[in-house]
Amino acid sequence: MKVLMKPIEVIAWFTKEGIPNPIKYRVREEEKDNIIKIGRVVTRTEEKLAGNRMLIYRCQTILHDHIKVYELKYEVNTCRWFLFKI
Amino acid sequence: MIAKKQGINSTSHAVYPLRVVRLNFFILYYEHMFIYTYGKEGVNYMHNRIIFHIDVNSAYLSWEAVYRLQQGQTVDLREIPSVIGGNEENRHGIVLTKSIPAKKYSIKTGETLFSARNKCPELVVVPPRYTLYMQCSSAMVEILKEYSPTIQRYSIDEVFLDYTNMECHFGEAVEAAHKIKDRIRKELGFTVNIGIGNNKLLAKMASEFEKPNKVHTLYREEIAKKMWGLPVEELFFVGSSTAKKLKSKGIMTIGELANTDPSYLQQWLKSHGLLIWQYANGLDDSVIKNNGVPMKGLGNSNTIAFDVTDSITAHQILLALSETVGTRIRNANKCAYVLSISIKNDHLISYSHQRKLDVPIASTNSIYENAKRLFNEVWKGEPIRHLGIYLSSLCLNDFYQISLFETKEKEHKKLDEAIDKIRVKYGCHAVIRSSFVNSDLSPLMGGVLTEEEYPMMSSLL
Repeated sequence: MKVLMKPIEVIAWFTKEGIPNPIKYRVREEEKDNIIKIGRVVTRTEEKLAGNRMLIYRCQTILHDHIKVYELKYEVNTCRWFLFKI
Repeated sequence: MIAKKQGINSTSHAVYPLRVVRLNFFILYYEHMFIYTYGKEGVNYMHNRIIFHIDVNSAYLSWEAVYRLQQGQTVDLREIPSVIGGNEENRHGIVLTKSIPAKKYSIKTGETLFSARNKCPELVVVPPRYTLYMQCSSAMVEILKEYSPTIQRYSIDEVFLDYTNMECHFGEAVEAAHKIKDRIRKELGFTVNIGIGNNKLLAKMASEFEKPNKVHTLYREEIAKKMWGLPVEELFFVGSSTAKKLKSKGIMTIGELANTDPSYLQQWLKSHGLLIWQYANGLDDSVIKNNGVPMKGLGNSNTIAFDVTDSITAHQILLALSETVGTRIRNANKCAYVLSISIKNDHLISYSHQRKLDVPIASTNSIYENAKRLFNEVWKGEPIRHLGIYLSSLCLNDFYQISLFETKEKEHKKLDEAIDKIRVKYGCHAVIRSSFVNSDLSPLMGGVLTEEEYPMMSSLL
């Protein structure tokens, strides 16, 4: 996987405990918006590098009959989502 | 031949006993004062203390590097010649921290970015980001709090931790220090050095030994082996000018300083001489202060982006500094009896002027008026590069002598209170003085962070 760290727009649902779960995201590529539905969140981990809390979601989606694995990042401090690795 | 040898021995013996007696006398006196201060149980505790000193390696730079890696950048600033440096346009262009590869080009902290670039043309210069540093430092303190209830944040990147009697919870001191060091690296991404000693001084000296990412011990019995061989300027509290003085008398190492007659040092260098002798012998009984060091004074200064040549602009700058200093002193619920100003001219020569006031002050207006008066008395008319205001001799602001001649004191107090509240709620630039409206000068000057208190390093242990 390659590190991209591209800001993305996300639709997510939050548990009562306040944990966000992404449903789908929109990413702009070559002047075109792509909407990708998240098939399954495989793992969710937390990192606190430099004291900055981030949630990392390893997700998978079936695209053209292939399972595509990628990682999303949610920065708690700024409420921003990133396409971290693909 | 034998007689000659004995002769030499007897002369050297004739010199040493007096010195040994004096040394012993000082150590006995020190221990006596110790018992007097702490009681017998306290002495037991003070003698068996285990103190950790946690020091972040190239703090600003490694914090920035970790943050950049987290944000998806592939280059690790710690692995290339890089420095954190101020803004050159505003004449703040000095090296604040350097990476280890930059050190190989003999780039030094405090030198100008211009000379650093001359030494290494491919040098990467990154501007400082103080909010990030506070965040990193706080995250580290949060981890350390899990290991001991007694923690002192000594500066933004240095923490003292009292590990005494904690062995039953987290294992032997060295083992626990390794655990803490590895955990900080794994969770927060940066490396620290941990020094372990019987007091704060020894712990601090130990953390300086070999970097990065190391744990060192310096217990009382290891002083001669690990510390005495180091050059004297490595000792805490021995700056470049003291080191020069000591070297002129042939005192080159910490060991030589430790074995010098303390009464001689006291006569020569006054109380500072005795203090560094105590430090060279590893004597320090300062306690870990959970609430930080009590504040003795506060001040703010600013290097101005251009040379100030007229008194009107200089007064404006003093006003902007008074705003910052005033807010801080009122926040601390204190008033000051002594106000001083400092001026640095275009030849980098500094001078200052201070006055003890009849009544303590805390309001922005009175700070400004007094600073202006002092400035007019002392300024020689040459171009100014740097201005500062400092307040000291602080007292609490609940009961104090008021002035008979100050008629609008109540009004000023209310006005300051209202302005402070507005700035807290809506940001520090929500209310500014109209004299700054069409000016290029910032209405509030001084300090690195406006939104929170930034822990600067204290000169006291």
